[in-house]
Amino acid sequence: MSIGLNAYLTVAGLLFAIGFFGVLLRRNTLVIYMCLELMLNAANLALVAFSRYNLTEKNPMMDGNVFVFFIITVAAAEVAVGLAIIVQLYRKRQSVMVDEIAVLKEP
Amino acid sequence: MIDFMFYFLAALTVLSALMVPCSRNPVNGAMFMIVSFVGTAALFALLQAFFLAIVQVLVYAGAVMVLFLFIIMLLNIEKTQALKVNRGIAALSIVAFLAMVAAVWFLFVEGRAGPFPALPAGAVPASLTKHFGYELFTKYMLPFQVTGFLLLIAMIGVIYISKKPADETVDATADAKGANR
Amino acid sequence: MQTPVTLLFLILLIPLISGILIGLFCRKQGALAMVLSVGSAGLQMALCLYLLWSEAWDGTTIHLNYEWMRLGLFSFNLGFLFDKNAALMLFVVNFVGFWIHLFSAGYMKDDEARGRFYLGMSIFMFSMTGLVISSNLMMMFIFWELVGFSSYMLIGHYLTKNAANAANKAFIVNRVGDFGFLIGIIWAYWVFGTTDIATLQSLVAQRPDLLITPISLLLIAGVLGKSAQVPLHVWLPDAMEGPTPVSALIHAATMVAAGVYLLGRIYFLYTPTALDAIILIGGITAVFAAICAFGTRDIKKILAYSTLSQLGYLVAAFGLGTEYGHRPEVIAEHGANAAALFGVGAANFHLTTHAFFKALLFLGAGSIIHALHHEQDIFKMGGLWKSMPVTSITFAVAVLAITGVPPLAGFHSKDAILYIAYLDNPITFYLLTGTAMLTALYMGRLWFVAFWGKPRSVNASHAHESSWVMLIPLIVLALYSALGGFMVMYPRALHFLLHDSVLHPEGASYTLMLAISLIAGIGGLVLAAVIYKPGAAEDRVQQKAPALYAFFASKLYFDEIYTFYVKKIQDRVAIILNFLDLFLVGGLLVRGSAGMVGLLGMISKLSLTGNIQTYVYWFLIGIIGFWLYATGVF
Repeated sequence: MSIGLNAYLTVAGLLFAIGFFGVLLRRNTLVIYMCLELMLNAANLALVAFSRYNLTEKNPMMDGNVFVFFIITVAAAEVAVGLAIIVQLYRKRQSVMVDEIAVLKEP
Repeated sequence: MIDFMFYFLAALTVLSALMVPCSRNPVNGAMFMIVSFVGTAALFALLQAFFLAIVQVLVYAGAVMVLFLFIIMLLNIEKTQALKVNRGIAALSIVAFLAMVAAVWFLFVEGRAGPFPALPAGAVPASLTKHFGYELFTKYMLPFQVTGFLLLIAMIGVIYISKKPADETVDATADAKGANR
Repeated sequence: MQTPVTLLFLILLIPLISGILIGLFCRKQGALAMVLSVGSAGLQMALCLYLLWSEAWDGTTIHLNYEWMRLGLFSFNLGFLFDKNAALMLFVVNFVGFWIHLFSAGYMKDDEARGRFYLGMSIFMFSMTGLVISSNLMMMFIFWELVGFSSYMLIGHYLTKNAANAANKAFIVNRVGDFGFLIGIIWAYWVFGTTDIATLQSLVAQRPDLLITPISLLLIAGVLGKSAQVPLHVWLPDAMEGPTPVSALIHAATMVAAGVYLLGRIYFLYTPTALDAIILIGGITAVFAAICAFGTRDIKKILAYSTLSQLGYLVAAFGLGTEYGHRPEVIAEHGANAAALFGVGAANFHLTTHAFFKALLFLGAGSIIHALHHEQDIFKMGGLWKSMPVTSITFAVAVLAITGVPPLAGFHSKDAILYIAYLDNPITFYLLTGTAMLTALYMGRLWFVAFWGKPRSVNASHAHESSWVMLIPLIVLALYSALGGFMVMYPRALHFLLHDSVLHPEGASYTLMLAISLIAGIGGLVLAAVIYKPGAAEDRVQQKAPALYAFFASKLYFDEIYTFYVKKIQDRVAIILNFLDLFLVGGLLVRGSAGMVGLLGMISKLSLTGNIQTYVYWFLIGIIGFWLYATGVF
């Protein structure tokens, strides 16, 4: 087996870059949110890869995997809250486009 | 065989992920997202993290993405306004994207971030999931509990946020302007 | 319950409680406020007389100290220092205070703001009592300011423009003196490490070299303001805008005498140079104010100048007596505390009698003003003998007392002062004797013009005797003005007054001196009758010698000089400072820095588009910067 850690990290990095690209490019809050999830997922992949490449028979450390487990849980909670906020936002503004809800800007 | 599997899954994951920001319709994007998540789950399996692979499919590809789709359909955003991207913003984001890809190439493909450890020799213990569970409920007991509590809080928060405001009749824009001040 | 300390506490706190009650509940209930205030003053006087007459206090000095707060090494004490002189002053304040309170019950009967008036009176009684028994200079200063505040409040009682100006003037002029006083206290603390009067005395006795003239002079500055000595005298004549009982209580009998009391309280803190300055200031004030008294027709202002003159007399007497007591041969004869005996004794004795007859004069004037519907011009009075017999008789007693006719109180006290002056410094003796003559002259002018002849105005012809509430205080004070030179009139504890501290001279030189002073006093009265003619309708000096009258009325241009100074010099400096403040501090520093921040804000506002993606770019730049730093690129 010749696949090194760097191959997994490359995949994770590319996923992260794509997610970031999506966040920058799209105006739809839902798509931006999905891209954020993508970036989280990229981090998860990198963590699992690290964990695997430090694993030995005598010392089966699972810390990376546990970490990923927690990330998935928290991400699920975050998605629930975030989507609720988006729905509420849509109710108020009739839009989910970020440039139309730029309320942080000074008028 | 495993090499081939890796390249195949990696290509699948990355390409379908790339389709997420690039598809006009958010529903399509969500579908590609599911593919990408399943691909990631397969990569987890390649890395011997079977439990996480299952969780990934169940939670992400299952629950989370269903929620996304549900909301997209609920809000029913017209497709015409879906992809109306400013040229400047597009150029800028493509530049940023390419810069990040270059950084990834520089660090991992050319290996400047190395040296990377090789795959440890010897067989992997058969009972990895058992070890995972063991660590989760001993060493990480407190974070585990806290996470459970976090889920509860998120649940309460979602219920509170999704409650209909008492005076729905108030003009939405006036309300927003009020928030600005 | 009957220890002197408890009694002192009660005497101090009764008027405060009355003041608090009036201030909180009786602002609109004038009658209730009057009952409270007069009642508290009466209770105060009763307790004071009990303390001094009974066996409760054996005459030893009471010295108490409670630590109030500690700031680092500086500990702030509150306490009592109650010695014989304090007892005398307490007696004067409480005794005269009560009778004036009683008088005001009649005088202020129709006033609309009686609650406010009695609030001020009660606060004054509290602060004056506190001032008298304070054990250290800091505490004394607090009460010193409190009496100033109540004086301010009461001068402005009538809420007219003039009253407001007079109140402000009194307060501001006092501020000048008090500032010097405060610096003096701080300097004394810096040198001696304490402001406790008893401790200071022992320290000065041990290390006389530590005492320096600037401290003495700064402490005198407080006296200049409060006792209205030249050049800070300008507020006192104007302060007559207040109600007459206030003029009697605060601006004649007690508060202005507090300066003299302070002199006596810290008599050991004066260097010989400072004593010379005290004599000089007192002498100048005595003569100057006596001259000014000829230039006004207002009965209260004449009395105010008379008060000024007498205060100058007191200050000079203190200086002379203390200086006399420092002489080696006097110390040899009378013991080491001769300085304390003669200076303080002479000044305090005259202070006491002066409080009686000056309060009587003011109350008499108040009675007349009340009867004449606020007519204050003496040339529009006349014929008061028939319409107001009691007032006229008591007023006559007071005039004779202040002139120094034996055996009235003024004779004894003035005699003591003049004798010390005669022994110590002949020039001052003739100066003071001249002042005594001038005093007799202007008091004669007032008396002959205001009381004799026929009524010269409608108000005067309709005059009628005041009510008994106002007459009783007059009679009591007349009794004391007449017999105040004899021991029986005073509480047991105050008998030292005539025993120890007043010289009882005999011999040829004394007879000569007595003859001179009697001729000056009685001669002055006769001269007044000759010059001004009893019952004259116009000021004869003004008619015959207008230039001289103009000189009297000019008051030596003190007010004009101060006005000139404030308008032409102080205001211009203030304008320049104001410009600097507006331009440098306000413009450059304050607005400049604010404008700088505003400019930065406007620039940085451009980055806040409200668009999430812009923030993501900032985030990206931040991460790149962090990454470059972490990998050591820079």
